[in-house]
Amino acid sequence: MVEINLNRRQFLKLTGATAATLAVVELGFNEKEVHATSKEFKIAKTNVTPTICAFCGVGCGILVHTDDKTVVYTEGDPDSPVNEGTLCSKGTTIRQVYTSEKRVTKPMYRAPGSDKWVEKDWDWMYKTISQRVKETRDKSFVVEENGIQVNKTEAIASLGGAALDNEETYLLAKMMRGLGVTYLEHQARI
Amino acid sequence: MATEYVKYVDVTKCDGCRACMVACKNWNDLPAEPQDFLGTMQSHANVSADTWNVLTFVEHENSEGKLDYLFRHSSCYHCTDAACEKVCPENAISYTDFGTVVIDQDTCVGCGYCVQNCPFDVISLKTYKDKNGDEYRKAHKCTMCTDRLEEGLQPACVTTCHTEAMEFGEKEAMIKKAEKRVQEIKDRYPNANVYNPKGVGGTHTIYVLTEKPSVYGMPENPKVPTSAVLWKDYAQPIGKAMVGGVAMALAGAFVANKFFDKKNNQENRDGGGSHE
Amino acid sequence: MTNHWNDLQNTDCALIMGGNPAENHPISFRWLTKAKERGAKLISVDPRFTRTSAKADLYGQLRSGTDIAFLGGMIKYALDNELYHKEYVAHYTNASFILKEDYDFNDGLFSGYDEATRSYDKTKWAFETNEDGTPKEDKTLKHPRSVFQLMKKHYDRYDVDTVISVTGTNKEDYVKICEAFCSTGQVGKSGTIMYAMGTTQHTVGTQNVRAFGIIQLLLGNIGLPGGGINAMRGESNVQGSTDFGLLFGDLPGYVGAPKAIPEHATLAGYNEKETPPSGYWSNKPKFMVSMLKAWYGPNARKKNDFCYEYLPKGNKNYSHINLFNAMYKGEIEGAFLFGTNPVVGGPNAGKEKEALGNLKWLVAADLWETESSAFWQKEAGSDPSTIDTEVFFLPAASSYEKEGSVSNSSRWMQYRWKAIDPKGESLADLEIIHMLMKNIKELYKNEKTAIAKPVNALYWNYGKGHHPDIDLVCKEINGYDLKTKKLLPGFAALMDDGSTSCGNWIYSGFYPEEGKNRAKNRDNKDTGGGNYLNWAFAWPANRRILYNRASADLNGKPWSKEKAVIWWDASQKLWVGNDVPDFVPAKSPKDPGGDNPFIMTKDGVAGIFAGNLNDGPLPEHYEPFESPVTNAFSSQEINPAVQIIEGEFNLKGNSKEFPIVATTYRVSEHWQSGSMTRNQEWLSELVGHMYIEISEELAKEKGIKNKDKVIVSSARGEIEAYAMVTKRFKPYTIQGQKVHHIGMPWHFGFKGFATGDTANRLTPHVGDANSTIPEYKAFLCNVRRAD
Repeated sequence: MVEINLNRRQFLKLTGATAATLAVVELGFNEKEVHATSKEFKIAKTNVTPTICAFCGVGCGILVHTDDKTVVYTEGDPDSPVNEGTLCSKGTTIRQVYTSEKRVTKPMYRAPGSDKWVEKDWDWMYKTISQRVKETRDKSFVVEENGIQVNKTEAIASLGGAALDNEETYLLAKMMRGLGVTYLEHQARI
Repeated sequence: MATEYVKYVDVTKCDGCRACMVACKNWNDLPAEPQDFLGTMQSHANVSADTWNVLTFVEHENSEGKLDYLFRHSSCYHCTDAACEKVCPENAISYTDFGTVVIDQDTCVGCGYCVQNCPFDVISLKTYKDKNGDEYRKAHKCTMCTDRLEEGLQPACVTTCHTEAMEFGEKEAMIKKAEKRVQEIKDRYPNANVYNPKGVGGTHTIYVLTEKPSVYGMPENPKVPTSAVLWKDYAQPIGKAMVGGVAMALAGAFVANKFFDKKNNQENRDGGGSHE
Repeated sequence: MTNHWNDLQNTDCALIMGGNPAENHPISFRWLTKAKERGAKLISVDPRFTRTSAKADLYGQLRSGTDIAFLGGMIKYALDNELYHKEYVAHYTNASFILKEDYDFNDGLFSGYDEATRSYDKTKWAFETNEDGTPKEDKTLKHPRSVFQLMKKHYDRYDVDTVISVTGTNKEDYVKICEAFCSTGQVGKSGTIMYAMGTTQHTVGTQNVRAFGIIQLLLGNIGLPGGGINAMRGESNVQGSTDFGLLFGDLPGYVGAPKAIPEHATLAGYNEKETPPSGYWSNKPKFMVSMLKAWYGPNARKKNDFCYEYLPKGNKNYSHINLFNAMYKGEIEGAFLFGTNPVVGGPNAGKEKEALGNLKWLVAADLWETESSAFWQKEAGSDPSTIDTEVFFLPAASSYEKEGSVSNSSRWMQYRWKAIDPKGESLADLEIIHMLMKNIKELYKNEKTAIAKPVNALYWNYGKGHHPDIDLVCKEINGYDLKTKKLLPGFAALMDDGSTSCGNWIYSGFYPEEGKNRAKNRDNKDTGGGNYLNWAFAWPANRRILYNRASADLNGKPWSKEKAVIWWDASQKLWVGNDVPDFVPAKSPKDPGGDNPFIMTKDGVAGIFAGNLNDGPLPEHYEPFESPVTNAFSSQEINPAVQIIEGEFNLKGNSKEFPIVATTYRVSEHWQSGSMTRNQEWLSELVGHMYIEISEELAKEKGIKNKDKVIVSSARGEIEAYAMVTKRFKPYTIQGQKVHHIGMPWHFGFKGFATGDTANRLTPHVGDANSTIPEYKAFLCNVRRAD
């Protein structure tokens, strides 16, 4: 596991300045929490994990603060030489990538002609998709063209990958080219 | 007495990314408030109970006819002589040893005098419902992340600022820095000035501005309203002695409406649209 | 990027053109601000006054699509005023090479043009050669057929008045900008060029970048701290996904994918055709064979050409526009979308949405329901009952719900640790890809057909569980010595005999020994020059400034103390300094090739003249596919080598019906197609509405007030948006006529918290002559009030 130095974030010398008035304002998305009178320091007991921002290509370091349920705070990683603890509006908000109610958390399937999603399990998804890939691939596969071994299918396309990790892009490229996919494209052009 | 600190804002370095707005919401767990389209890049016309700082965007043609696009981090100024503190009938508003001005949420009764009297218009009321469905109100504003200060951390907005347009430091040092910066930029911005208004005894958010304050939608000469001084120093003690706290709050509402005419303290404060 | 983000602080002048880093790469401004404090000048050239322009010392207004006119004029300015770095140009570039008589340029066309195929015969652009095949040179640069003299002649037509009549830039601003940037040609100074998709998303996108290259070479700014050509990449790992071969034309490490041509029928034939005799690419067979060993494992043997035959060999351009054209025509049956949203982000997005409906099946792995995975819904304007596409939605984990590395624009491979389990039932893409491939292999494992063979041969061995062992993947990328089973120290150890494996040669060395993944390095001490050599790993070979040999003179001494990176240490007989040398470490400046700093090129020098591009060896201005004016430089209106799709897939508008120039862009608060940011409340409240930016003058002409709803139309469609009337757009005067210009963000769609119409409904399906990057950034439209 990675070691990080949290003291680096400390800035003020604590000169015994006790809280004159503990004015921690208790608000939040949950109306019930409004009634709490005081709260523990927000990041006193969180687990802190360094990550790299998921947005642009600057590659800022971010610290993700989690408790046992959720992400409670995200901030710039002061150790990263790229951003030295600072972030832009997107990087700062990365907490909501986890907490957003809009996240899809179950595999879903839409049948031909249907107007809705149906939840499915992963195993069904893997098996069904694999069958579709095989059917399309077998039907369209070209082994030889003008006497050259070309081993390709032009009936399957793969798009995307600029938001994936390197290890994922590597496996994706290996898988798609391994299947003979030529329509292989990601976001570098768009 | 602990050291007094000041948030220094150099608008010449701000590139308008608005990380400060989000960092504030993230640290303080404030909900989003979707707004109507304002006709500029500015998201909110003003700060509110759930949005404690707003980045203002102003398109300004300077004296040479050159276009400037002015960005300013705008939130509570944390006045040395704070009108809100003076008028609060419940003494819910106080100064911390850091020099910040904070509202104690347990004590606040939501009367709104602070909102009425703030020369900068940076305090807002929010309505909640209790278990019985009865409504009550609380006043909210930027706390300068006093909870973070107590732990030795800077305010969340300052921490995230990548151009160092914002810094948090000892008051005297920050004032010196601001004065020096104004000298550095005078060639390019002849109207450059330090904003640390005397009428409120100076503030704990000070600015380096490239143009006069009104260009940024800030009051040129904000003052603690005389009525607020009268209230704090005379009426409130007398009143409390006479009729007790609850009645005082009611009387306060009357006094507030009668004397604290917010409009008189208003100057050009809408930083948002140059195309209204 | 040739350089890196931290290095921006070392610049004396930054020319920011085709990019808006204050909004789209904000943290770059941390380093630019530091440069500014040192006295550096920032220049912003953009059709609209942006947040970057607001922070710049100089702003140049530029009509979208006229970058080459602007830069051609700057080249002429540098040449006319002799502001270029003469020694650098003569020795480190091909300016001294002599061109054959075949090379010519006349009225917008280079020699060798074939109108029927809209393509060039590039053999007409060859150099005179000596008997050993090396190019003939004239280091005095005076030979009339030298690259230098022909370049000078080419740009002699780009005088200031012609340039500004095309670009619409204020003359005084233009000259000031040329003066400021060309001042970095002095020894002891360096200038950087920062760009993004505003440069590339044009029918002349590649040549826009080439023009940057010529300027930087003339000024001697390549290889220096604070210099370089710095592409600011828009996605956290668009660098890595390009490095790892997710574009059809390249295998991992930019090894060209074999094609269905007779020369590529065998590995030997491929090597013969694709391996240059000199330069570092002469090692290409080692990269290819080692990659085949990584992909096909023990099945890749010398006697079967290391399974080379199984690599798919295409016979056409398979890039985004052509992909969707094929889908539109019903030629594609199934598609995978991994975190991508073409119904918002693709050009002519209405047609791309229609195309998806022609698929039999669509698999979308994403965090959110996007406009693309939901293209069949009523909200998308579709009638679900008429769409037969099966859609499989696979919920993916976010970046910090899994572990792995990403490569930023600086080429720094940085590790992300896992902070929390994937939300709900979502899974890491690594696991999704792994399980899909395992399931597909399972279906084929008992088949012996020619179709099954490539799948069965693919080596897929990443541990037993559902979740692959990421360490095994990392090590496969780094590569092994297959005899000793040890990890490779770097790409210098690669062999072409099957004794080494390596999934991506440019990354080799990031995992040199067990337990030592250098992407995880977190020592943030500045090792000198702001290069932070012990933070993360930079490809290639942990090098931070590419071409850094060029920071030193012919004798290996830095051109200046201020801009030193590496230098020849005669006592150690080594190149030493603040960075990993981009050179053979022990090759002395006096050795043969010791003063040829560009080791990746065949001749060891940089190309001012580039004979390998599809649309010409020198950048030339052409108007965009849709333009309100005629080309002032020649009778060729648009790039003559651009391939144009005719018909309803790519309707073209005329300037009578659509007189206004439009461009698209991004804002700080949203990201790409918006699926990541419009699903977050705090960002949605900051920019919550689709709008267009429009000048006060155009608003007045059209009777539009600020905040009005307007309709923007192009030949492809119409969208509704709010009008943001602003001083930051001004009408242009182009060849004496008034031209209006508007702009709009392309982040919006119908899903998420912040919704709005999609700008890309308006953009055309036409791409650059080399990269086929769509021309999003300059097209024609019209605007009217919505009521």
